[in-house]
Amino acid sequence: MTESGRAGTGAPRVRRGSSDWDHALFSVIVAAAVVMVSYPVVLVFLRSVSTGDIGSPLTLEWLRALADSGRSRDALINTAIYTVASSAFAMVLGVGLSFLSARTDMPGRKLLGLMAVLPILVPPFILVVGWVALGDPNAGLINITASSLMGARTIAVNVNTMAGLIWMTGLFLTPYVYLLVAAGFRNSDPAMEEAARVSGASRLRLLTTVILPLQRPALLAALLLVVIMSAGDFIIPSTVGLKARIYMLPSLIWQNSNSFPARPGLAAAQSMLLVVIGLVCIYFQRRALQKGGRYTLLGGKGANPSLFSLGQLRYPLAAIAFLFALCSSVLPILAVSAMAFMRFWAPYALKPENLTLRNFRYMLFEYPQVWPSAQHSVLLAVLGATLCVLLAVVLAWYVIRMRGRFSGLVEYAMVIPLGVPGIALGVGILSLWILVPGGIYGTLWILLLAYVTAYIPVAIQFVSSALHRIHTDLEDASRVSGRSLLSTIRLVNLPLMRPALIGSWLLVYVVILREISLVILLYNPSTIVLSVGLMDVWGSGFYPELAVYSLLLMVLGLVPVALLSRVAKFSAD
Amino acid sequence: MADPRRVASNSEISGVSVTGLSKGYGLGGHLRALDDFTHEFPAGQCTVLLGPSGCGKTTVLRSIAGLITPDSGRIAIGSTIAFDAAAGIRIPPEKRHLGMVFQSYALWPHLSVTENVGYPLAASGLSKAEIQSKVEAMLEWIGLSGMGGRYVHELSGGQQQRVSLGRAIVGNPRAILFDEPLSNLDARLRERMRIELLALRQRAPFTSIYVTHDQLEAMTLGDRVVVMRAGRIEQVGTPEEVYKRPRTRFAADFMGIPNLIEGTVRTIAPDAIAVDTVLGTLPTRGWRANWHIGDRCTIALRPTLIAFATSRKADSRSGRVIRSVFQGTSTIHVIEIAGTAIAIESFSEERHNDGVEVAVTPVAGAIFALLDD
Repeated sequence: MTESGRAGTGAPRVRRGSSDWDHALFSVIVAAAVVMVSYPVVLVFLRSVSTGDIGSPLTLEWLRALADSGRSRDALINTAIYTVASSAFAMVLGVGLSFLSARTDMPGRKLLGLMAVLPILVPPFILVVGWVALGDPNAGLINITASSLMGARTIAVNVNTMAGLIWMTGLFLTPYVYLLVAAGFRNSDPAMEEAARVSGASRLRLLTTVILPLQRPALLAALLLVVIMSAGDFIIPSTVGLKARIYMLPSLIWQNSNSFPARPGLAAAQSMLLVVIGLVCIYFQRRALQKGGRYTLLGGKGANPSLFSLGQLRYPLAAIAFLFALCSSVLPILAVSAMAFMRFWAPYALKPENLTLRNFRYMLFEYPQVWPSAQHSVLLAVLGATLCVLLAVVLAWYVIRMRGRFSGLVEYAMVIPLGVPGIALGVGILSLWILVPGGIYGTLWILLLAYVTAYIPVAIQFVSSALHRIHTDLEDASRVSGRSLLSTIRLVNLPLMRPALIGSWLLVYVVILREISLVILLYNPSTIVLSVGLMDVWGSGFYPELAVYSLLLMVLGLVPVALLSRVAKFSAD
Repeated sequence: MADPRRVASNSEISGVSVTGLSKGYGLGGHLRALDDFTHEFPAGQCTVLLGPSGCGKTTVLRSIAGLITPDSGRIAIGSTIAFDAAAGIRIPPEKRHLGMVFQSYALWPHLSVTENVGYPLAASGLSKAEIQSKVEAMLEWIGLSGMGGRYVHELSGGQQQRVSLGRAIVGNPRAILFDEPLSNLDARLRERMRIELLALRQRAPFTSIYVTHDQLEAMTLGDRVVVMRAGRIEQVGTPEEVYKRPRTRFAADFMGIPNLIEGTVRTIAPDAIAVDTVLGTLPTRGWRANWHIGDRCTIALRPTLIAFATSRKADSRSGRVIRSVFQGTSTIHVIEIAGTAIAIESFSEERHNDGVEVAVTPVAGAIFALLDD
């Protein structure tokens, strides 16, 4: 009795046999990572209630200005319309495409599945430039074709409108919906559907009472993801959106931070609005995904779900599905490529005598910004992806294996960047480091810090699911065989997780290369990156050169994907 | 066949001494997985920790390995103190020089058979040539010569089991820990592996601690058996002692004795205690010393130590067959005697209809187990 009584009070904490040094090392890294992902949100809030830089007297001036300013209100309304409409569009298209490709007898459904996720590899800038090339009211290919068909000047489509912005954003978001939903459609247990059919349900009833309700958590998670992504989207509102004079919160934040006179307090207050929306969405998304656990379906081995027969509608639906799939990747890439070879970009300029390689020569060899920005971008993407993956391994180990005292807190902290739009994260990071004299502001390091902060959660999702799949006996056997914890991770865990590590590395590499909203407030002329350079060229309006530049961005992103995709694993479930 | 002591040169077999080990789970450690566990595991012998799931046997094993940290107590492997809560000593698993065979085999799928077996040698810093010769000798010894280049998924369950055994032995550990190593195998293979393990131990004595819930494995493999219950030791003894004379109701039940009947102590002699029961006066032996004539007690009757016949005999008690269940080599008859149902196992082909009157007698010379509780 005395023995157990003593044990209850003076018991050392249990740590799965890891030595204290290992634990201390992991804890320090984990603590640093938690601070890194959470301070920007705190600083955005502080900045929005401070008269000047952080540390100056508190004020409600900016929050009041947010409520009073007509531009803020208009931007909020525009952002709301844009978010709701593009999310709805992406949901309908994403769910539709995934159902058609996973559960129907539509011709070419396998190819459709591939084409639906292809846009993830295409930088959104390609989509923007491509759709400007296709749908500009004056020089867009579609309008030129329509005009020549009609014999008079006809504007069939116009991307410089709210509808145009929604169209591009919806196409950009569709693959994310597709990815979240298609797996559920594919893996659903045929027995559940057979049970419904045997119970007398018609095919339509089956769809509405069994198949779709079973996917509800995935559908909700997809919806919240696209709401966060569209509300915080920067590229489309600040390129075509500004050209069309449609202001939205992210583009307004950029202007308030950058234009003269800068109003960083107002920018922070506007960011705060986006942060609140994002964090609320991410909270409900996590909840939906957790609840999804009870819907988890383990399909029978090799059992393929039955396919819905579309009958007469097979070909018309296939035509529509492929048209949308083409619109989101192949068409814009073709349009950008065509534009890249044109001497100048104007109505009726697409003629053989106007074709040239001059744009390539100029952009790749003469344009002063291209190589510095490409070097910076590739360096940052390689370092950032590597750091994200390494940190993710440490964080996942701490949460899953060490079950450290703060693992719950760490898990919560690590979803913050998922809910905070890049521009708001940028405002928060800027607020801190601009105050550090002679510090990292204006260096590549601050950009690296921003990228790692934003993309740690992505890497963690991959690494955690890979670590969960490794039986702890494999690690214990290594420890008993004489290897220390760190050697065990190096010799057992890392090799076993390699496909997931490479997959997450590639994903983070690709998104860092294209990311702009994070760094638009943090770069300076000596640390310019590809995506910011693209913004400059966009401002100058030389579209053929812009086309070359954006193709360069796409190619740099695709090279490692092509090299490593055979040894990578891209799914996080 | 290679001599294992050549495979494992400069052998250093150690006993393991565990003192006052406790381990709690839950808030404040109120769920006790292990409660003041003390036992000496003798060098060169196989000690089996036997008990149902949740009895703490695996906690003892993993504490010895260093894979979990107990709340209190002390573990010495040979002369080295591997863990001492009071003194703050906790040697990490990789420095304890043990071998371990896991229930899941825990073979690394990204390594070949050779690399799996050679892993502990590489960890100890041997040269490549030494590792190669030792691994080859070990592969020959476990009957997997020429399969070193294969990967784990290319092996059968029994072969995987042997690789995991080879890996546990190759580094010449001070003791080998077995965590239910046979429970993933099908019945036929389990039987064969059990016999192979036995042969292995005869060829090369090593200290082993073997965790199982299977009493047959415990009987055949153990030099000593430790029956555990709820984090405590219920009984320690040779397999024969535990089998013939379980100390408690729990141990009797776990050793597969279904018949626990009440009785009264009639006479006490130095080597046997006679107990009055529904079956008459039975000779028993127990562990507890302080019995008095007239005490109420419980005795465990192994179904093979009672016989019955349709013809009446002197000194027999009459009973009625409730049912007979044929189970291959033997038949289990459930017989009611004076309101008590007793299972009797018989090896004759004889069957009886339900309700038949029979005469029940203890097998001549049988001594029954008198339980402590």
